[in-house]
Parts: sequence; C-alpha cells; structure tokens
Amino acid sequence: MDRRLNLTGWAFLAPAAVLIVLVNFVPMIQAFILSLQSGRGTNLNFADPLWYNYQRLFGDEIFKQTLVNTFIYLIIQVPIMLILAMILANLLNNPNLKAKAFWRTAIFLPAAVSLVSYSLVFRTIFATDGFMNDFLALFSVPPVNWLGEPETARFVLILGLLWRWTGYNMIFFLAGLQNVDRSTLEAARIDGANAFQTFWRVTVPQLKPIILLTAILSTNGTLQLFDESWNLTKGGPAYASMSMSHYLYEVSFQRNPNFGYGAALSYVILILVAILAFIQLRVGDKRD
Amino acid sequence: MKRTTKIAVSAIAMAMPVALVLSGCSSDGGDNGGGAGGDNTLTVWTWDPAFNIYAMQEAEKVYQKDNPDFTLEIVETPWDDLQTKLTTLAQSQELDELPDILLMQNNAFQKNLINYPDAFTDITDSGIDFSQFPQAVTDYSTLDGSHYGVPFDAGTAIGAYRTDVLAEAGYTIDDFTDITWSEFQTKAEDVLAKTGKPLLSGQAGSSDMIMMMLQSAGASLFDAEGNPTIADNSVLEKAIEVYTKLVKSGVFVEVNSWDEYISTFVNGSVGGLINGVWIVGSIQTADDQAGNWAVTNLPKLDGVSGATNYSANGGSSWVVTSNADVDLATDFLAKTFAGSTELYDTILPKAGAVANWIPAGDSDVYGQALDFFGGQAIFADVVAFGAEVPSNNTGVYYYEGRDAVSAAITKIIGGADLKSSLEEAQATVEFAMG
Repeated sequence: MDRRLNLTGWAFLAPAAVLIVLVNFVPMIQAFILSLQSGRGTNLNFADPLWYNYQRLFGDEIFKQTLVNTFIYLIIQVPIMLILAMILANLLNNPNLKAKAFWRTAIFLPAAVSLVSYSLVFRTIFATDGFMNDFLALFSVPPVNWLGEPETARFVLILGLLWRWTGYNMIFFLAGLQNVDRSTLEAARIDGANAFQTFWRVTVPQLKPIILLTAILSTNGTLQLFDESWNLTKGGPAYASMSMSHYLYEVSFQRNPNFGYGAALSYVILILVAILAFIQLRVGDKRD
Repeated sequence: MKRTTKIAVSAIAMAMPVALVLSGCSSDGGDNGGGAGGDNTLTVWTWDPAFNIYAMQEAEKVYQKDNPDFTLEIVETPWDDLQTKLTTLAQSQELDELPDILLMQNNAFQKNLINYPDAFTDITDSGIDFSQFPQAVTDYSTLDGSHYGVPFDAGTAIGAYRTDVLAEAGYTIDDFTDITWSEFQTKAEDVLAKTGKPLLSGQAGSSDMIMMMLQSAGASLFDAEGNPTIADNSVLEKAIEVYTKLVKSGVFVEVNSWDEYISTFVNGSVGGLINGVWIVGSIQTADDQAGNWAVTNLPKLDGVSGATNYSANGGSSWVVTSNADVDLATDFLAKTFAGSTELYDTILPKAGAVANWIPAGDSDVYGQALDFFGGQAIFADVVAFGAEVPSNNTGVYYYEGRDAVSAAITKIIGGADLKSSLEEAQATVEFAMG
C-alpha cells in the first residue's frame, strides 16, 4: 500500500519535475555556457579567457550605473513596501472593521493590473503636461519634469512599485495574521500594552517567517525589475533609472546582439539574488 | 471487479497529471513564417498602418493585376518588436519562422546584415535595377558590393512651420529657408517672444536632432573604418552647442515620449518641427491647422565646412529574407517598389511615402499642390531636397553611438562639461565594441 501511494505521489511529481528540468534547469546550464562565449550575433566562440564576459562587467560603466539604480530601488522600496503592507494587513485584520472585503479588494486590486498597463498609466500621470502637474498647478507649484530628471524619475518608478506590489504583499501578511493566536494579543492588552506595543512586540515577532518570505520574494523581484524601467522611463534620462535586467535586454536585443555578455549579466543577477536570500535567511530564520 | 477498479483508478491517477500538463502545452503552431513557395502568397512584416502597411496593400493591388492569384499576408509588427523577433529567430537559427519580406530601418541595416548574414538573401542579380535608386540610399543595404534591400521611403528631413504663427511674429516661410542655425536661433527667439510658441520640440534623451545636424554636414559618429569619432569631433560639438542653446532658450521643448512629441504640434503648442518627411502623416491629423503649414529645408550649421541645408532621419528598406519564396518576392518587389510609377502615384499623396525610386520622381503627382500646406507642392520640394542629402555613415555600431551621444546630451544639458561628456560617450562606445 505504502509503495503504491509512493508511486502515485511520484507520478504526480514527475511531470512537473521533468518540465522544470527541461524548461528551467537545462536553459540555465545553456545560459551559463553561453556566458562563457563572446562574439556578435550567431558568430559565437568560447572566450579567451573563459571568464572574459564576467571580467568585462567590472569595466562597464553602464552596468555599474544600473547596479546602483537597482540597489537604490531595493533599499528604498522594499522596506517601505513591507512595513506598509504589514500595517495595512494589521488594520484590515481588525475584527471590528466594516466593509472588510471591500478594503481588501481595493488594496489588492493593483496587483491584478498588468505591469505594462500600469506603467503606461503612471507615465501619462507624470508626463510634463500630465495629471500630476495639473494637480500641483492648483497649489501654484511649477510643473516638474518628472520622468526627465534622474531623481524624480527614480521616485516615480519607486512610487509605481509601491502602488503595484504593496497589496500583493499585504495578502501574505493577512494570511500570516490568521496564525497569530488572538489570546496572545489579549494577554498583551491585559498586561497594559498599548496598540503599538502589541503590534511591535507581539504581532511582528510571530510574523517573522512571513516577513522573511516577502523580503526574499521582493528582493528577487526588484533585482529582476524590467517592465517598469522599460515602459515608464525607457531607462532614461541617461541610464539614471535603468534596471539591470533592462540593460541585459538592451545588450541582447537593442544593440548589436551580444548574447554571451547578456548571459553573463543574468548570472550576476542570479548570484546577487542568491547571496541576498542567503543573508536574509541567516538573519531572519532562527528556527534551528 | 474490485481489483480492476483499483487498477483503473491508479491508471487514471498516473495519467491525469500528465494529461493536465500536456493540455497546457498544446498551442496552435500558427504558420507565421514565409515558405518555400508555390502558393503565390507572401508574408510581410511591417509596422505602420497609415504608411508602410498601406503602401504594401497598394503594392499588392498593383501586382495582382498581372497575377490575380497573388495574395499578401501582412503582419503588423512594430519596429522594436520586429527587431526583437528577428534577433531571436536568427540567434536560435529558427530561420524558417521568418516572413518572406520584412521592412528594415536603414539605420539598423548594417548591424543586422553583419550579425545575421544567413537571415538575408542577396538580391543583386534578381532583376531589380538598383541603379534607379540614389546611391546614398542603397548604401544602407549594401554589403561588400551585394544588395540586400529595396529602398522604400526616403527619410529626407524637412523643416515644417505654421505660417500663421510665423506671420503673427512678422515672418514668412522664406525667412526660414536657406538659413543658418544662428539665424534660426534669433528668429525663433523672436517668434517665442511675440507669440509664446516655441518652434521646435523633441523627445528628451533622443539624439535625432543632433544626428540630422551631423548628417547635414556629411559628418557622423564613426570614421570610414567604423571607429567611433565622438570625442574631439568638431561638428558634433558644434551640433550639441546649437542644440543646447535651442533648449535653454526655450525655442526647443523637450518632452518625454513620442505621443507627447506628436501632441506638441497637433495641439498647436509648438509652431513647427524638423524631422523626416514621413512626419507629414502626423501633421495632417491636425485638421484645424489645414492650410497653415509650409515646408522648407533645414537650417545649416555655421562655420562648418561641408554644411548643407539638407539631411535625413529614418528611412527604411524591404528585405527578402533567407526563408522567402525568393523568385516571387523579388519579382513582386521589382514590379512594385522598384518598378511601378502607378504605385508611387497612389501612396504618395495618401501616405506621404516619398519614393527613393528615381523614375517615380517624374510623375505629375509630385507636382500637385496640397491644400493642407497652403497650396504648396511639398513633395516636389522634398524630392529636390533628397538629391542634396549628404550620405550617412551608419556602421554596425550606429545604435550604440547614438545612445551614448543621447546620454551625453542629457548630461550636458544638465550642466556637465561638453568635452568630458563626449569623451565618456566615446569610451562607452569603444567598450561596447570591445
């Protein structure tokens, strides 16, 4: 019986496993081999030395700029988003809240919007003659060239990311909050803790696994940021808002196709994600 | 009985996941590609319904007169997507997914031809007479003396201005004809002061204007060997100087996207433009401005040897891919875009497709007065401009060069030093080529 159950289990696992190997792991290995090759178009040869493309990255000013940009997004956007998501989840978890379903839907809805379309909407809102400048004009604020200046372009991009992803992360926290025992909150209240103390000292520690999960997911997502950079700002002005993945795309498709170098870039992103996830696991996961 | 049920259940259990997965995989393997032929159909990738798609449809009608069974399957593919698809297919060697014919930006021609020679067909001896096109145009699509493209539209640059705006400031179109950029600067500032309207606009971070200025003086970002000449390029420095002054004085408005650019003149917030002649299609969408536009040549750079009032921006050519029904495709192109005055007579007034095919220039249609342009026969003028355009050295790394210069301009307008920004741009391009 056990054996048959096992076989059934494997039967269910096998197709997914085979597909993951075929469409994920095999291309990953191929990409790694590609990253050791140099040349344009189909005229690819193994580089000499083999790690030439990786070595090349250190001299690439645009790559450094996109790396800085991506980390600016990561450092500013991810903490703000996770704290906001946590606070919102906590508010929505209040049993006395009215129209709870409405609020949940409203806050989650942006996550259902396609990345391209919301980017285009943000671009329209923040155009020089767009809604935001019209709105500011009501308060006699001179028009701002939002997408034309490095700082404001990054600001708009971060704002877009916050709008799009906060609700998505909130759902994780809401789910996590269902596992927080009400009696611990009551106990805290009886001990005389105020709302903030209860949240910070009782709720947050119990949400730790969820915080870890969302932090890793968001870090991963931000390092692979592409759509917003491409659709909102085209990476401009002068590469000031371009993400690493956007640069990877440029190197492979917009310019003289250099797929070897593009593959090397993608491996750098992979390594960065792995390192950051490892650090987060070390810092955050105290289960053992 | 019981036993069989069990086996059946476990069989279903085993098969279900596989079936689920497989159903997810099935998709229509849609026949996008061209083909070995015989079916009298050609697949074409091209991007603008009001312009090159329209021209292709008209070409289909022309060719159908002698070949009633002939059909075209036109797939609307924006240029960015077309480039991505071409790169993907050529890189993965899935060349049989390519269409028979595709339209290629002239500026990207050398890059694609050199990187993916096996995606193109050499059509030098196909019966198309390439001597009937200006050499400056066929140069884009020629490699080592072999022809790979049939030129479609000329990107001849025009200066188009609102005559009512000029008149309000006391000028006529003649005041903006055969002038230099410093004269333009003075007059445009005057127009701005008197009417509140800037005369030019463009996308921030795009170097189209600079590239037009460069070409107007026969200069480029690369030398004949293809090495970048961005640093210490006196013509480029002059062009950036002119551009910076235009922007800082407010006579050139920078916007952030193409739609915003179009709306600057369609909404009438800007009183003119300088761009490739294909832009007239967009100008003419502003019905309320009919009769108030006039077309002339460009200002030329002061104190630059070889400077002219003529340039180009854009322009594209038809490519016969390696997956094509070559005989049909070349015969089609030879009898339409490289051999039909009738075709050009139709597409010119409707779509503003100014021919590169020299015999088409003799047609009466070019001399027709256009009401939208106050009765001016703009296309006759544009053809005359076209003959004066200096040839353009794009090279393989044209896009890298242009991007680097765009970034440099953004920095220079932001206050960075001109020389050092251009040296940086030079280094960027040299790096990309390394």
